[in-house]
Amino acid sequence: MAEKKEPETKPVAEQPRIGVYVCHCGLNIAGSVDCEDVAKFAATLPNVVLAQDNRYTCSDQGQEGIKKDIKEHKLNRVVVASCSPRLHEPTFRKACEDAGLNKYLFEMANIREHCSWVHLYDRESATEKAKDLVKMAVAKVALLEPAEEVEVPINRKALIIGGGVAGIQAALDLADTGYQVFLVEKEPSIGGMMARIDKTFPTMDCSICILAPKMSDVGHHPNIELLANSEVAEVKGYIGNFHVKVLKKPRYVTKDCSACGECAKVCPIVAPNEFDVGLASRHGIYSPFAQAVPATYVIDMNLCLNRNGVVVCDKCMRACERKAIVFEMKPETVELEVGTIIVATGADVFDPSVLPNYGYGRFSNVITSLEFERLINAGGPSGGHLIRPSDKQVPKRVAFIQCVGSRTDKNGRPYCSNVCCMNTIKDSLLIKEHWPDTEIYVFYVDIRAYGKGFEDLYNRARKAGVKFIRGLPAEIKEDKRTRNLWLVGENTLQKELYKVNVDMAILSVGLESRKDSETIQRLLTLSRNQDGFFLEAHPKLRPVDAATGGVFFAGCAESPKDIRDSVTQASAAAARAGILMAKGKVTVEAITPIAFPEKCTACGLCVKVCPYNAITLNKELKRISIIEAACGGCGTCAAECPFGALTQSNFTDEQIIAQIDAVTECDSDKKIVAFCCNWCSYAGADFAGVSRMQYPPNVRIIRTMCSGRVAPKFVERAFARGVAAVMVTGCHLGDCHYINANYQTQKRVERLWKKMEQNGLNKERLQLLWASAAEGEKFASKVREMKTIVDVVTPEEIEKAKKVFEKALVVD
Amino acid sequence: MPERIKHAALDSKDLKHPKADISLIKDQCKGCGYCIEFCPKKVFEESEEINARGVHPPRIVDDSKCILCCFCTAVCPDFAIYVVEKESDEECKT
Repeated sequence: MAEKKEPETKPVAEQPRIGVYVCHCGLNIAGSVDCEDVAKFAATLPNVVLAQDNRYTCSDQGQEGIKKDIKEHKLNRVVVASCSPRLHEPTFRKACEDAGLNKYLFEMANIREHCSWVHLYDRESATEKAKDLVKMAVAKVALLEPAEEVEVPINRKALIIGGGVAGIQAALDLADTGYQVFLVEKEPSIGGMMARIDKTFPTMDCSICILAPKMSDVGHHPNIELLANSEVAEVKGYIGNFHVKVLKKPRYVTKDCSACGECAKVCPIVAPNEFDVGLASRHGIYSPFAQAVPATYVIDMNLCLNRNGVVVCDKCMRACERKAIVFEMKPETVELEVGTIIVATGADVFDPSVLPNYGYGRFSNVITSLEFERLINAGGPSGGHLIRPSDKQVPKRVAFIQCVGSRTDKNGRPYCSNVCCMNTIKDSLLIKEHWPDTEIYVFYVDIRAYGKGFEDLYNRARKAGVKFIRGLPAEIKEDKRTRNLWLVGENTLQKELYKVNVDMAILSVGLESRKDSETIQRLLTLSRNQDGFFLEAHPKLRPVDAATGGVFFAGCAESPKDIRDSVTQASAAAARAGILMAKGKVTVEAITPIAFPEKCTACGLCVKVCPYNAITLNKELKRISIIEAACGGCGTCAAECPFGALTQSNFTDEQIIAQIDAVTECDSDKKIVAFCCNWCSYAGADFAGVSRMQYPPNVRIIRTMCSGRVAPKFVERAFARGVAAVMVTGCHLGDCHYINANYQTQKRVERLWKKMEQNGLNKERLQLLWASAAEGEKFASKVREMKTIVDVVTPEEIEKAKKVFEKALVVD
Repeated sequence: MPERIKHAALDSKDLKHPKADISLIKDQCKGCGYCIEFCPKKVFEESEEINARGVHPPRIVDDSKCILCCFCTAVCPDFAIYVVEKESDEECKT
């Protein structure tokens, strides 16, 4: 990785010369805050050499003014008191940079969203609050230090995990762009679920006919290295610089194989073929299916007679003209260096044998939708003839049962699996096409035909005479003699019971997350939602990015989706990965941790809490090292360190303490100190402002990147300085922008509550709030609620808290 | 791909299973037990009887399990086992 450049101008202990600009924002701020008065007040603050108010600071004129003043008045720190830093911080940082001032020497005071807009009718209190906010910003800016952003080079190679249609599409897109791609597939052939399906909805294209050309493209593409029969064993590194170890399982057949199939003919071992869900058999040496890529045969060593290392049977070897069979092949580990990773691991199919009422596994004519796909597929075990398993006769009456394992709290998954409704409609039409006299019943809860052309297909099925009955069967019973099935249930539209006799029942099974998702999750430090699917960085605006930099999702690994959506997402993931690789470098915001090795005891607590594995501990040297490119910038390591050996750049302990001290300088017993995380609760407070939700003006917000940055000593110091109440706020658990850092917040606040209780303090004075960026009202009502707590806090209680936490006043 | 397989293969009955004719020359056996140990399908077991050399020769448990790999023929130090296929004896001419 790139070395962190030393700042060009060393921060010599120069006296800060601060310029403060108070913005009117038209009447947005000036309407309820006396901006002139605030500017006058700012001029009296320490180190402030210039304070003025202007109508629109963000205008070109305003920015030019700042640039001019930086030069004329030799300003080395700038504070703008205006709107939210989430809006205009980049604007003003740019202006500072243009004037030759390091952009990290700038600070904003949010006197619009957090002040004028939420205290519209209390000019006096709003002005007082604005002064406090400016005072806090001035206190912090004096302690800011210039910082340089680290540039990390991006390796222009990509790893794609999973060779289903999503992985194939992503691989082709990236390879066509010109990047080297490694495609790792666990099975002997790529193709995934799509290769096993007969037709695709809503167009009724033949699935393998449209997939096979893509598979063969992958096999031949000069930029794609296909690693089939392989699994990712280890991933180290960070965005742009991943070191990956892939375990390549032996095939026991070399590339010389011409896929003639002579070996399989003589192999004495017979086993069910997984590709056909066991409905057809294969030999010990086999090719999973006709269009397999790579076409090279593979030996199933769990079944081969030679599995113990002794060549007992050499029939295949003797049958092979090209001498392509090598029983001595060993697993090998391939090491790859890649810059980006796309996770396209797909989904598993729900196993309906856990539902005793449907008798799957007991009744031979109850099959799953995937088994049906193989049965109706011309390349399948029955050659495309619809037959039922018990007597291989064409069924006259067929039932489809929807939502098997989906949308249920017991014996299944709570979510909708997205594809089963349309799949059933497609399957019913396929039957009608070839055997028009077949009676078809579809038992459903709701039919979800939401996509392009889906409703048309649904109508076609209804016109073709498929009977849709609302209400799932309660039970399936088998006629022991004929092997026919009785479906018993209630038609909830007509409120009557039904008992339907059919020859075959197809369970429309849902999708669930891969059983080995946990391995991938651990290898790449990803997070998963409660359903087990991988969690994207933002559900709306970053739907294919993982929270871990340089990792992207495609296909069913992220959530159940159909082929079209998988392909769309795969192309999106390829484009996102391509952006990084085209640039060739990524800059990391200079908010990474700063270590003080002389204080470090190598206890390893920071290593444990880091959500990104960005800190490594060298036990022998008793030192930690920080990989800045992997760091997300949450600061939870700094909050965790009990020795003060770590702090976060731009959010140092001294800077945050200076803000706390500025708040508590006067009237602290009436005030609430609120710590808000940049992504959710600070944005939520902004949203309260934008929506003009009014709340009491005694709250002072201190912004951190993550609630995980809030060290217990900050809260303790606030109480020691006599504040009435403290609020720690962050994203909802599970929604943290730093994977899981807010769980540390929860732990720390719980510890503080315990300490307060033990010392006889009212623990209601410390509140923990999870609020998303949309929950402005939640934030506002919490402040209102806290006002009632603050009102009844007695001076004795304040004194008591001061005493309990007095140690926090000592700065080490 | 799922390991879960609930239905018998539709083509299971059509598969040709080779029928083996296993010949044991019991008196030639010295009871080393290699055939019992190495047969991948465990076709043999030790018998109670005593042969001319005073040892227990093997006995065939189930010759339908035999897949004609002829490894027994290869490992038998005393050339006491021969396997031929019943229908066509082309294969297995070791």
